[in-house]
Amino acid sequence: MGVQVISCDPQDVLVAYGLGSCLGIGMYDPVSRAAGLLHAVLPEQAGSSSEPGKFVDSGVKTLIEGLVRAGADRRKLVVWMAGGANMILPLGSVKAFDIGARNIQAAGKVLEALNLRLSGREVGGNSGRTVRLYVGEGRMTVRKVGEEEHAITVSYS
Amino acid sequence: MESLPTKNNEKTVAYLAAIADAGIHNAARGFSGMLGQELSVVSQEMKLLPFREIASIVNGLEEEVVGIYVRSEGDLASQFMLVIQLQTAMELADLLMDQPIGTCRELRSLERSALAEVGNLTSSFFMNSVSNLTGISLRPTPPAVVVDMAGAIIDIIVTATGSLGDWVMMLKAKFALGERAVHADFWVLPDARTLELIMSGV
Repeated sequence: MGVQVISCDPQDVLVAYGLGSCLGIGMYDPVSRAAGLLHAVLPEQAGSSSEPGKFVDSGVKTLIEGLVRAGADRRKLVVWMAGGANMILPLGSVKAFDIGARNIQAAGKVLEALNLRLSGREVGGNSGRTVRLYVGEGRMTVRKVGEEEHAITVSYS
Repeated sequence: MESLPTKNNEKTVAYLAAIADAGIHNAARGFSGMLGQELSVVSQEMKLLPFREIASIVNGLEEEVVGIYVRSEGDLASQFMLVIQLQTAMELADLLMDQPIGTCRELRSLERSALAEVGNLTSSFFMNSVSNLTGISLRPTPPAVVVDMAGAIIDIIVTATGSLGDWVMMLKAKFALGERAVHADFWVLPDARTLELIMSGV
């Protein structure tokens, strides 16, 4: 949570468990085989924070920087994202007004600004998801409770 | 920037711990009340941690659990989450509805209402205890019942506190019902400014 991991080890599987309103953003360079996964919590970094990884906008940037340092070519990056669900069905006085949707929006914004396209997204809805990025194979999967793990597709909730 | 909410001196910590202790035991009484059986407090701890470590207090972020979420607003602003493993929650629903354990196979609206009420009582008893000790008023919100992966349930808490700084105080208690081992975790996360308020009474 609020963390990012980068790996070039084909044995590794990068996992983000139980993404509710949080957003899991995975990136992979098929040539250098560098992979990274970000588990972002909030949409935008307001002031300064000791943990930029917890925000979608700064997190995406630091993830890319990390991947480049690991040998990736940013122009070749394949990007997936999953999560951003609305975990609280109407609860009135809760402060977290659909953070999930705001996270999804923030991701769209920063990816567009960086000229990156999404290869797959499974976002929204009301259920938690776990994502796995298989570094060796360069693919990302999603799983919800009661569901089989499946490759991430392009779908909206 | 991080805002560590407590001045970590012994007196303050002891005061908070005493309030928390009274609150937890009263919460157990509230929970028991619905069951008509004595619920015990198996363990309790109070931690100050960076929000990111909240996830570390749960074993099994992918595990399907039931979370009953209540907030209190006003001067005593806090979040409460009663967390029960799905299987246990179904057994608890059986107990609450006076039917043989194993009857409940799915949490439908009736079972969810019963569980919501348990969460409600547990939090309310906790709040009443704190209110009596500190004189601070409280205003609870209606409970929400969420059934999903533990990690997703934690997101509810984290996103509500994330904007208040990088640190949270978490009170964590485990309740158990006799040999039946109905285990439930009870988390209390006061808002930063509420902590300040309570500590001003030290």
